[in-house]
Amino acid sequence: MSIARPLIIFLGLLLIWHLIVIASGVPPYILPAPHLVFQALAERGDILFSHAWITLLEIVFGLALGTLLGSLSALTLSYYQPARRWLMPILVVSQAIPVFALAPILVLWLGYGMVSKVAMATLIIYFPVTAAFFDGLRRTEPGHLDLAKTMNATRWSVLRHIRIPAALPAFASGLRVATAVAPIGAIVGEWVGSSEGLGFLMLHANGRMQIDVMFAALFILAVIAVALYYAVDAGLKRLLFWSSETTTTEL
Amino acid sequence: MTNDLTANNSPISLSLQAERLAFDDFTLFEGVELELPAGAWTCLLGPSGVGKTTLLRLIAGLIPGAENISLHCSDNNPIEGRTAYMAQQDLLMPWLSVLENILLGAKLRGEAPDKAKALDLLDQVGLTANAESLPSSLSGGMRQRAALARTLMEDRPLVLMDEPFSSLDAISRVRMQDLAANLLTGRTVLLVTHDPLEALRLGDRIHVLSGRPVHIDDAFMPHGQRPRDLHDPDVLNGQADLLERLSAADQKGAA
Amino acid sequence: MLYRLPLLSFLALVAFNSPTLAADKLTVLLDWFVNPDHAPLIIAKEKGFFKAAGLDVTLIAPSDPSAPPKLVAAGKAELAVSYQPQLHVQVEQGLPLIRIATLVSTPLNSLVVLKNGPIKSIKDLKGKKVGFSVGGFEDAVLSAMLNKYGLNLKDVTLINVNFSLSPSIVAGKVDAVIGAFRNFELNQMDIINKPGRAFYPEEEGVPPYDELIIVAHKSKTRDKRYRRFVDAIEQAVQYLVNHPQESWAAFIGAHKNLNDELNKRAWRDTMPRFALRPAAFDRARYHRFSKFLKKQGLIKNTRPISDYAIELP
Repeated sequence: MSIARPLIIFLGLLLIWHLIVIASGVPPYILPAPHLVFQALAERGDILFSHAWITLLEIVFGLALGTLLGSLSALTLSYYQPARRWLMPILVVSQAIPVFALAPILVLWLGYGMVSKVAMATLIIYFPVTAAFFDGLRRTEPGHLDLAKTMNATRWSVLRHIRIPAALPAFASGLRVATAVAPIGAIVGEWVGSSEGLGFLMLHANGRMQIDVMFAALFILAVIAVALYYAVDAGLKRLLFWSSETTTTEL
Repeated sequence: MTNDLTANNSPISLSLQAERLAFDDFTLFEGVELELPAGAWTCLLGPSGVGKTTLLRLIAGLIPGAENISLHCSDNNPIEGRTAYMAQQDLLMPWLSVLENILLGAKLRGEAPDKAKALDLLDQVGLTANAESLPSSLSGGMRQRAALARTLMEDRPLVLMDEPFSSLDAISRVRMQDLAANLLTGRTVLLVTHDPLEALRLGDRIHVLSGRPVHIDDAFMPHGQRPRDLHDPDVLNGQADLLERLSAADQKGAA
Repeated sequence: MLYRLPLLSFLALVAFNSPTLAADKLTVLLDWFVNPDHAPLIIAKEKGFFKAAGLDVTLIAPSDPSAPPKLVAAGKAELAVSYQPQLHVQVEQGLPLIRIATLVSTPLNSLVVLKNGPIKSIKDLKGKKVGFSVGGFEDAVLSAMLNKYGLNLKDVTLINVNFSLSPSIVAGKVDAVIGAFRNFELNQMDIINKPGRAFYPEEEGVPPYDELIIVAHKSKTRDKRYRRFVDAIEQAVQYLVNHPQESWAAFIGAHKNLNDELNKRAWRDTMPRFALRPAAFDRARYHRFSKFLKKQGLIKNTRPISDYAIELP
């Protein structure tokens, strides 16, 4: 995979950032220039990376758990019609309530450690994954289902060999959205109650007016989010080797 | 040839009697009868929407809740599970290779796949080189050939084909007609088509459907063995005749 | 005929510049939502002291508590309510802020434990969990208090509970909280029947400081409105002291949603803590606190007081 294009985009963004700081004259305690942020990265690297590791774990576990729960929910909704009456409202509510409102409750229940943050990330991606996968499962080509019926396939067999593979592209869309959004859950959880992680570090730095450190943490968070997205995307492309979107487009 | 029926299965005939088939706002059939003679190809012709696909799907068991329909097989066994279905779309699963697609039935039923037979069928439809390819890399004609191989793999006495070649270009269509005629020897086939030429090349009995509720006219029975030659006088003369009947049917439906 | 025009304009100018006609607008960013800590500001507004000083003051509650000082420093707002400890740190980070008045001249911050809990002295905090709200300063306070008893920060586990100070200690999720305001959290806990007990930083090794101050942009100290503003606050504090009932009535008259038990109690507890001479400050006291912060590692250098505090002429 070519690294040139993302690298150029990245440097371009840095340049724009730098120009904005110079042109607008914004003070460093509101928006520090890139070189100040990198300085902070270098000076406080050890703290930043140890907190970054915690946040990364929270995001990854949240993503894994949310995807698992979401997939199981989608399969349940698809297989058991009656389940829809019970599960649908829960789904919608999980999406509608702002995470910020739920965060303090989750933290109070689950404590200030990683568990509450994993729970937050899980909660925030539950709906996108479930909705996308369920939608895909519902939209199986009728022709395929007809063929399966004439072949005397069992309902379970159809689910396993036809509906699920056919629904994978839709699932992939949901998973991509989830990957982009999971970091938010982890960070909001940290803001509300924690003793480690990038979100916690940002709050702390902000309180001490160390805005360069705050932005350094933000920068690392952005890098984590982007790297995670591309990793998941690459994995999905592998899984969906047969899908037209994979075979006809490059990066 | 390995696609011949085994000693246990001689061709069966099917007779359909539909007292009534109605949907929300209209009655499709009322007192309809259809005979599919053993080992023969029965063709259904007619304007779009007349109900030929519905009849086929009825026999395939794809129309749930259809009562007052009687399907009787000559060997007195139920029809369920004894049909093979081929549609206008190839219905190949995009994530499976051609070979895996042919073995789909076994996979869905949880049976052990007969790889040797599948490879042989692939050979007969001329797709050996593409056994491991994904359907997306094949042309339309090749995909329908794969679908044909899959249909043969099912090894069922009754084969139901719903306009299977209508999405192909004229040359591929003729080739596929020849191939299908050869490979499906000895089976009872119901072929739905909108192409009179195809019906004349392949059909032993041709019915034109018309009206609402549907009326099935008497069979038109060309002579000779399928696939009939394009220059066959029956084929040439029959075309004009069938087109007349179709036109009348169309007007009847429009009325 | 011609000389009447300048005369008329001159008279008009004088007329419109008299305080009773021309009110200068002034925007003050609060540190948090309106609460009894802001009583002098509310009374100055409601009892017309601002108006008499020719000021039309708007009080704005921030949605992000860390923003007001930054906004004043960036020139986007005129005055803000802030905290003396944070001011020292902010000035060192280069924010051009200066303290022009004191609102609350005692610390309000305290270390709170459950009254009926196992913690009976600060020494008992060894190995325990302490919740805090990230303001940037709490660990320094806690550190000094622990040091007095031979402990240090490593002997406790600090947990950021953000603003859920009372809930976290009442629910037993932490053993103590630092950063709780003694006039608020203690009353909150009393009301729900989980009384707390406070250890006061100024009694346990932390030099006294002003909890709430008014800050302005460093280059704007000559703004004539500011002295008038501070004078009006002084009048308000006088009024508070002399007419406590009327003051409370005026407060809840302007903010009906604050007429509840918690605010009533907080009001009562905050009363003795308002700076009676808002404009004045004690140089040595500020300097002493600056040295304390340096010792705790929150700032690198002490600096001349005039860098961050002034008595307006």
